[in-house]
Amino acid sequence: MTEQRRGSMTANTRCIWGGLLIVGSLLLSGCSTPPTPPDLLAPTDAQLKIRSIQTRTFDIKDRNVAMRAVIASLQDLGFIIERANEPLGLVTAARFAEPNYYDVISVTVTVRQDTKDRLTIRANAIYNNKPIDDPKVYQNFFASLERSLFLTKE
Amino acid sequence: MHRAMQTRFFETPNEKELLSASAAVLQDLGFQIEESVRAVGFLRATKERSAREYGQYLQQVLFLVLSLGNLRIPVDLHQKIAAGLITRPLNRDATRQEVRIVFYRVVWKGDGQADRQYIPPGQQSMEMIRDPEIYQQFFAKLSKAVFLEAHTL
Repeated sequence: MTEQRRGSMTANTRCIWGGLLIVGSLLLSGCSTPPTPPDLLAPTDAQLKIRSIQTRTFDIKDRNVAMRAVIASLQDLGFIIERANEPLGLVTAARFAEPNYYDVISVTVTVRQDTKDRLTIRANAIYNNKPIDDPKVYQNFFASLERSLFLTKE
Repeated sequence: MHRAMQTRFFETPNEKELLSASAAVLQDLGFQIEESVRAVGFLRATKERSAREYGQYLQQVLFLVLSLGNLRIPVDLHQKIAAGLITRPLNRDATRQEVRIVFYRVVWKGDGQADRQYIPPGQQSMEMIRDPEIYQQFFAKLSKAVFLEAHTL
């Protein structure tokens, strides 16, 4: 009699385990994440294009002069300089897209010495948390920067 | 773009002195220096003050009466006045220096009420300070501090 009971019990537990397995597998299949694509951090064409839009090289020996020109041209464009770091060649500035004071344009410019008499200037502009990828915007910035560089060269 | 108002020239080769004098003048005006980078001639200073104005409270009362006590429009409560200053040499021998300063302020609104709902302080707005007198005041003090005449464009 005890053996019979034990037999029915094992059948019961087996049933429960089977049910759990089915439910569990259903739940798991619902939650499973798609496999990570291997090219998640690989550079895209768009990225390279944006970088080339944002970058210009200049034949200038003095990095400090270039940084001051960057700051001057940002001020001419109505930006407020927020941060500057000479050793890293970094300038961060922002402005409100007047007359509406809820749209913000912020810019980070890096000045890097490539060789002795060449340096690279890169500008990153963000409009309300969205990166600007319109080449015209950068052309305008570099045009005013060139004017400013020309002025300081005199 | 208000460039003439924000800019003055000084006939001096000593940029460092100009920068430290600017910092001192800003401190005299009640500002606190938040950031300074000597290598590029940069200063940023702020001061926080109350932004309460008599006129706005009158307006608030007027709206309160007109809306039969249902709407109390928010007023300016607090402001942060900031200044960004840049000095730079103008010619190659660096015998002339330019000082450019920009004043702006951020204002916090609040203390309003719509129906029974209290509007807590929080809304922010920002504006450039365009009053030429403030700029003139600053440059007058600066030229006194460095014993030099401040030239305009």
